[in-house]
Amino acid sequence: MSLISIKNVSKKFGKQTVLDNISLDFKDGNSIALIGPNGSGKTTLIKAILGLVLPDSGQILVKNQTISESPQYREIIGYMPQLSLFPQNMKVQELFALIENIRKEKPKNGYDVSLYQDFEIAKMRYKALGTLSGGMKQQVSAALAFYFSPEIIILDEPTAGLDPLSNEILKRKINTAQQDERLVLTTSHILSDLDEICSHVIYLMEGKVLFNKSIDEMRSQTKENRLNKMVAQLLNSKQHEQN
Amino acid sequence: MNKISFTIALDLLKNKAILIFGFILAFLGWGMFLLESQPEKTILALLQVTLIILPLVTGIFATVYYYNSREFIHLLLIQPIRRSSVIRGIFIGLAGGFVFSFLVGIGLPLLLFYPTLASLYLIIAGLLLCIIFTGIALWVSTHQQDKARSMGIILLFWVFFTFVYEGIQLLIMYQLAEYPIEQPMLWSVFFNPVSIARILVVMQTEAAALLGLSGAIFQDFFGSLKGSLIAIGVMVVWAVVPYFLSRFKFIKRDF
Repeated sequence: MSLISIKNVSKKFGKQTVLDNISLDFKDGNSIALIGPNGSGKTTLIKAILGLVLPDSGQILVKNQTISESPQYREIIGYMPQLSLFPQNMKVQELFALIENIRKEKPKNGYDVSLYQDFEIAKMRYKALGTLSGGMKQQVSAALAFYFSPEIIILDEPTAGLDPLSNEILKRKINTAQQDERLVLTTSHILSDLDEICSHVIYLMEGKVLFNKSIDEMRSQTKENRLNKMVAQLLNSKQHEQN
Repeated sequence: MNKISFTIALDLLKNKAILIFGFILAFLGWGMFLLESQPEKTILALLQVTLIILPLVTGIFATVYYYNSREFIHLLLIQPIRRSSVIRGIFIGLAGGFVFSFLVGIGLPLLLFYPTLASLYLIIAGLLLCIIFTGIALWVSTHQQDKARSMGIILLFWVFFTFVYEGIQLLIMYQLAEYPIEQPMLWSVFFNPVSIARILVVMQTEAAALLGLSGAIFQDFFGSLKGSLIAIGVMVVWAVVPYFLSRFKFIKRDF
């Protein structure tokens, strides 16, 4: 089932085209790695799905509902931003309470506390978010993204600030989410981190989709095993095509 | 008011800045009545506080607040709630906080020490000014990325409304004294919420000299009661319009 479909979405910031007529389709049970150089539009695309950035043209549908119609679709999305955006003075406990309060309805299968427990969030319950280290904020952010058992999980550079142990915990969580037939969308520059967690790779460049392939497809095409080698080879062949 | 807006508003009220604001107002309000034996003089002093300090502080505080809660706003926008609920919550939280501080700090002593019609109008004018300048601050903040620039614009608004506007009015009156300018002068009052607030209160006191030329025309034209009602009506419009402009922008912009 297609959970998110993006239809001919374009977005300009001033004169700069950030998203150039992008059409994509994301299905449940997939774990998609969104990669590309800096400024290729990865974060803008994610923000467009979340409704933070409003596209100039085109449509985004989540579960066949146009997202501009109602904010309700965000109920099934968990989002971990690139930089954790938390109010400085709020305590960790208050943050969870506030979001629980705003979301009103409890998720069908109850709150997903596995990351909350693994990252030992309970220990920092009474600390203000402004006093947490960058990595700890990322942990809180990840725990919050999974907390409401969302069907769609969007992670923007999740591994940037995490220590190796937490990184492994998060990767394992992403793998289980994928096995539960949920959709995971991850952006990262560190391709080795994406190696074990993604089933599809989308490469964005200058606001366009350069390629969109499943890992198996890439493997048989390139005869390589490591993701970074596969991507490098595909990029090379693309360049040859252009020349 | 829906529950989400209320949750956001309550969360904003936890901030200490609004407490400090309340303390400053209470210090002025209660202190002046306790020091001064003639309440007629005190109300004029409090009128100056309300007309000059209140707009400045609400405007600046609201602007700082908006930019400092950018993370908070971001966090709210990725939840399944409407953008309009978010901006409404911010507006209600800020304006509510300022109005509450004003009522406790200045409204309460006015009612206790000098319960007259003039006091009542001063309270109405003050709480409307709180709402108006919160609205203007949000209107500026939602259009600007840069905090310092927003602060500058708010300061300009404040200087313009409290000092420059009436200077220009006076200048035009002197220059065009031979022409029938009463009507345009009357209309020009409506474009400055601080002027309206001043006229509204001064019409009820003995201090007619403070009315100014535009105020005198206003009173002459409308009379006391009708004039007061019209003044309050115009201030309500001023309280609503900037907020709706900011709401419109908030819904349309990227984050």
